[in-house]
Amino acid sequence: MKKNKLIYASILAFSITISGCKKDDPETPAEVTPSVSYSNGVFITNEGPYGTGTGTISFYSRSSGSVSANLFGAHNTYPLGNVVQSMEVFNSQGYIVVNNAGKVEVVDATSFNSQGAINNLVNPRYFLGINNSKGYVSQWGSGATGEVKVIDLATKAVTATINTGNGAEGMVKSGNNVYVACSGGYVTDSVVTVINTATDAVVTNITVGANPSSIKMDANGKIWVICGGEWNGTITALLKTGRLVRIDPTTNTVDFSLPFSSTTSSPSHLVINNTGTTLYYMYNGGVYSQSATSASLNATLVINRSFYGLGIDPTNNYFYGSDPGNFSSNGKVIRYNAAATVLDSFNVGLIPGNFCFQ
Amino acid sequence: MNLFKLFFSVSLLSLTVSGFTQTVGDSVKQLKVVEITTSRSGNFAIGNKSETLDSSLLDRYSAGNLAEVLTSESQLFIKSYGLGSLASSSFRGAGAEHTSVLWNGFNLQSPMNGQIDLSLIPSDFVNEVNLQYGGAGALWGSGAVGGTILMNNSGRFNRGTSVSMSTSFGSFGDMRQQAGVEISKKRVVSSLKLFNHDAKNNFPFINSAQYGNREQQQSNAELKEYGLLQENYFQINAHQKINTRFWYQFNNRNIPPSMTQNINAANQKDELYRATTEWQRTGDKLTILARIAYFDEGLRYVDSIIHLDARSRTKVTIAEAEARFSITKFDLVNIGINNTYSEAIDTSDYIVNPTQNRVSLFASYKLHSKNNNWNAVISGRQEFIKSKTIPFTPSLGIDVKVLKYFIVKANVAEHYHLPTLNELYWGQGGNPDLKAESGWSEELSLIHKHHYKGFSWELGGTVFNRNIDNWIIWLPNNYNIWTPENVLQVWSRGVEYKLNLSYSVRKFKVQLSGMYNYVLSTNEKAATANDASLNKQLIYVPIQNAQGNITVSWKGTVVSYTHVYTGYRYTSSDNLEYLKPYAIGNINIGQTFLLNTSKIKVFVQLNNVWEETYQVLAYRAMPLFNYQAGLAVYFNQPNKQK
Repeated sequence: MKKNKLIYASILAFSITISGCKKDDPETPAEVTPSVSYSNGVFITNEGPYGTGTGTISFYSRSSGSVSANLFGAHNTYPLGNVVQSMEVFNSQGYIVVNNAGKVEVVDATSFNSQGAINNLVNPRYFLGINNSKGYVSQWGSGATGEVKVIDLATKAVTATINTGNGAEGMVKSGNNVYVACSGGYVTDSVVTVINTATDAVVTNITVGANPSSIKMDANGKIWVICGGEWNGTITALLKTGRLVRIDPTTNTVDFSLPFSSTTSSPSHLVINNTGTTLYYMYNGGVYSQSATSASLNATLVINRSFYGLGIDPTNNYFYGSDPGNFSSNGKVIRYNAAATVLDSFNVGLIPGNFCFQ
Repeated sequence: MNLFKLFFSVSLLSLTVSGFTQTVGDSVKQLKVVEITTSRSGNFAIGNKSETLDSSLLDRYSAGNLAEVLTSESQLFIKSYGLGSLASSSFRGAGAEHTSVLWNGFNLQSPMNGQIDLSLIPSDFVNEVNLQYGGAGALWGSGAVGGTILMNNSGRFNRGTSVSMSTSFGSFGDMRQQAGVEISKKRVVSSLKLFNHDAKNNFPFINSAQYGNREQQQSNAELKEYGLLQENYFQINAHQKINTRFWYQFNNRNIPPSMTQNINAANQKDELYRATTEWQRTGDKLTILARIAYFDEGLRYVDSIIHLDARSRTKVTIAEAEARFSITKFDLVNIGINNTYSEAIDTSDYIVNPTQNRVSLFASYKLHSKNNNWNAVISGRQEFIKSKTIPFTPSLGIDVKVLKYFIVKANVAEHYHLPTLNELYWGQGGNPDLKAESGWSEELSLIHKHHYKGFSWELGGTVFNRNIDNWIIWLPNNYNIWTPENVLQVWSRGVEYKLNLSYSVRKFKVQLSGMYNYVLSTNEKAATANDASLNKQLIYVPIQNAQGNITVSWKGTVVSYTHVYTGYRYTSSDNLEYLKPYAIGNINIGQTFLLNTSKIKVFVQLNNVWEETYQVLAYRAMPLFNYQAGLAVYFNQPNKQK
């Protein structure tokens, strides 16, 4: 019996040794110190794990350089939901588009307290404020076409649906009209749908290149749209290459359409500086620039690195690029100054995708 | 009485071999054991920890599926997406594709994704489940990395004609009907089993991810499944046996949304045909086994919201032959060849529908002492695939009886997992240059067994270590296309304990069992620069889990309580996000009435009796208290004595 005891004791001792190697309880992540107000900074939307998790919002303070994680979760009693796509601040309200959950969560942009949600959406992508009472949400929808949902900002109800090209994505407002890039969604498309914001009716569909995704307006009021091109069925080569297209909003016609040469890289993420004179986009593993006054493709390499998300700070023209790492742990944001020199980087949530500058 | 002698020696052997045998008095056990003699697991799985879930245990879960059985009765971690939803297994902190699932020796892992949904296996379609822990590439080939689930069916001769029927109903619209008929003569057994199962799974839950009213009912979770299993066993003569099996099943499931998703309209239909035949010739010197299987399995996943209609179908043909003989009185040799041909058809996921032919040669050599006090086995396997180098996988195992009441087991084995068809040929990003994941595993067990008067007990402890190199993960490449790469290196190690106590006097029996695992499974290699998952626990691998069971039986009444604890699981690979531990209590009550050779059984299964709110996967709702109740009748007409 003595021998038995010895053996049990050694098993027990061994298990304690092993157990001692690592704490059983996970370390509690550093608590969020809720800032008094989230002004003067950058919101980063973190998609979160697809299918079964929640996305989050991180905040970078320009003045202190500090980063706050999971703002929504810290100030509310429930998580944001699955796949946080984008965020827009309009009339001091934050509109957070939660794609897979089919909703837009509305928060007070400085306190991040929930103000309710816009529900019953299908695959929403971006929010755009139109006036004090009305907003637009672009969505891929579940029908035959993409859609823009008209939102009553006071009641947060959908008041009308505008059919657009497939896969309604980026939007920009020019005068009385909104220009919607129709990225193809579940299929493919090549139009920018123009909507009259007074009547919520489609003015026209402008044919641009294949699968336009992001859209911006320059200092001269011209509309620029980047088209990703069209992949073959197995996504190994582009059947139609990407294009950078300029639209004249006074005539709703294409000024010019500049094709990219690569058949393996799809241009994306069009952003513009604060003076509206230089555009930037991602292409071929880097960030390139384009003068808003140039009628040919400049293709000037600015940053020799690609990002998952790209933003440009309107207060100082700093670049913000996101790196999701292995897509199953927290990501990173890298900051560059206006001259595209690396400044610093900071950690954000899981799969950082978009920026919202406040 | 040659057969009796055989049975006796075999049951002795199986006692030594299977470390942890759960036995609740079962009259059919004797004949089942004879089947084990010819199995590779019974003879050559030496030194690995193993558990057996026998027919009487499976009978308690007769109205359930294999995922439910393993969740409550094994040390595996079952990753379930919810009631009636996809469930996969993890042995010792490995992935779902690192569990080899063998049905009567045939691998059921999908050639497309290397996994199998355990919730689609009705527990009354198998007679016995054997869980073998540890890597065993030499014995079971690709996929036997974390461990192997062996599901076995066996024919029982000369039992007469029997008819069984059962019906059960439960919470959330759960209804199941089962029927079976068996004609068992001296030399022929033929049986047919049918089942039909419907469930709404519309259980209420508190959606903690919801604004406003959080009381919700699970939506889009309806399930319908039916199937049949037809088996034939022939004793051709004193030396030859042949059997055939045919399994058909159709499943139609809606896929419920996660808590953070609000709505889902997805639906998945699975349809499968599995046909097998096995012939064996047992001689004085040489035993030969030959078996062939043909599996045709299709899946269609439709999500109307995102305009997705994905179909896939695979056909797999497996042919295997083994020869077994002894050179001396103290050894046993096994040599075999396996050919597995897989093809994917009718799927839009690939540029060209791929095919794959794999040939493997395997051999084992066992030495044992005269009185079976020790057994040692050395095995090896070499698999061949065109234009791929696959490591030769050896293993060495030993079981030794020491100090009368102790058994020491040790095993060292190499293991491998071939990249799946999806990983190799997926239309958008498949990587044909992938290497097999492979590595070594080592384990050491100490088991103490004894009985005294009405008491018997068994205590076991196992220490294991395992490395998996070239672990495949999907990451976006330079063009933002997700593609699989051999990047991670996963190191798993831990301890496992098990305790069984039983006391019986006359017709009264009490059994107590407990299990505890402590498993670290960490990534040791950076996939990207500054990879935050370095040296961190893999996601959804609990470090600790424990299980306890008490079963009391008296005459025809069996009352059983099971308590399962699952520890923290990380949900992000940097280990910053995690899910809280949970403990689930289940009660099973069965009452059997015997009438000559027929019987009637009434049973009630009460799940989650402590109303624990828990998540196995993040934001996947699980039901609170739920039940199943049923009635089973069994009529038997014994054969007339000639």
